[in-house]
Amino acid sequence: MNKKDFFIKRYKQLGWDFVDANPKQAIRINTCNIEPEKLLIRLKKIGVKLIEIPFLKNAFWINKSRVSLGATAEYLLGFYSIQDAASQIPVSTFTKLRRKKVLDACAAPGGKTVQLANFMDNTGVIVAIDMSKKRLIALINHLERCHVKNSVVFHLDARQTSVLNIKFDRILIDAPCSGNFTVDNNWFNRRTIEDIKQNAILQRELLTKCVNSLNDHGEIVYSTCSLEPEENELNMDWAIRNLNLKIEKIDCFGEEGVKNVYGKKLHSSVTRCKRIWPGKTQGFFICKLRKKW
Amino acid sequence: MKLFEDFTVKFGCNLSLIGKNIINKSGRIFLLNKNLLKYSKMNFLYAGLYLGKIKKDKIFPSLYLLSILSKIKSNKVIVDDKAAWLVICGRDIFGERILKVEGSTKKGNLVLVLNTYDECLGYGKIIHDLDKKPKQNEVFIENLLDIGDFLRRES
Repeated sequence: MNKKDFFIKRYKQLGWDFVDANPKQAIRINTCNIEPEKLLIRLKKIGVKLIEIPFLKNAFWINKSRVSLGATAEYLLGFYSIQDAASQIPVSTFTKLRRKKVLDACAAPGGKTVQLANFMDNTGVIVAIDMSKKRLIALINHLERCHVKNSVVFHLDARQTSVLNIKFDRILIDAPCSGNFTVDNNWFNRRTIEDIKQNAILQRELLTKCVNSLNDHGEIVYSTCSLEPEENELNMDWAIRNLNLKIEKIDCFGEEGVKNVYGKKLHSSVTRCKRIWPGKTQGFFICKLRKKW
Repeated sequence: MKLFEDFTVKFGCNLSLIGKNIINKSGRIFLLNKNLLKYSKMNFLYAGLYLGKIKKDKIFPSLYLLSILSKIKSNKVIVDDKAAWLVICGRDIFGERILKVEGSTKKGNLVLVLNTYDECLGYGKIIHDLDKKPKQNEVFIENLLDIGDFLRRES
């Protein structure tokens, strides 16, 4: 069996029939910087045709465009960000972000950090950290372009979050992961099950350390763009059994998390996670966690 | 922060930073709100709003600082759509593309460049008095910094 068939068979066992997806480019309006109606008129004027994304606010797919969306004056002035529809979902699942202290634990390249700032109306504080200094440059450029006012950026591995000595109300762990075939044409040839297991170990370490920096009534949103259950449902099942966490129900686009993974029965609350198979969006996995009381 | 205030005078501005939470991190200048102040002693890479950097007593303003200046009394020109696009591409500005001038028109002064939506695209140096009648394709403003820098710095 070739590598692609190996993974396709795994997806079939999880209940998904493989389709070669090619998601449309999407944008998110930075409403702190411009009123959506005004931006839509301007984009139409320069030849950008948009389709509203039904499951998100102020987000649009690009149907057609005469211009490069990453080089317009409107983009360079921070009026919108280019962000896949699925990757806009994790931040939208937090409750009440205004005036909160938020950790963006694997923040680079910064699309979700800017989204957090926008959802917070630039109130409160975002501590954005990442272990890659090179990728932090992209993050900083994003923050500067979008006039984000409430963030502070550190070059720090999320496994060392405790050195900040801060308790956070909200923590976003958009964990480093194996990715998926919609974002990498050569994904099936490059990935092995060993890579995936290695990533899963790292992700558990991130969760373990970040939980220690979470306020008692705080929320963690964990997400990956991996389709592999080792990095998703199996990690969440492990987290609720080992880190005194519980999974919260979230109301967003996507299917229920998979409860039975290759014959292994997981905790029933794993179905509260959301799994997004590639199609109109890229693949994604999202889970919201709280401390158990 | 006198250096910064002196720099803004070159645009005909009177910007006061007294009482603002300004932090100098190795020559890079940030404006912090009160929530971020407690992090000011920590070893951060970036915080709050970036105003620019100071290198050998010379100011390199950020595009955010320019946008602040464009909202107060300052030297500014509004350019037409074609020139606005060329500015983003890093090009200088032809005299015939300037639709409106506010503040100084004198050669040698600094001027903010705005599009027809009154949004600051960057700044430049006046190289011909702006009240002079332009010839075709005659550069009146030399582009010193524009928002296209966000693209160029990543490439």
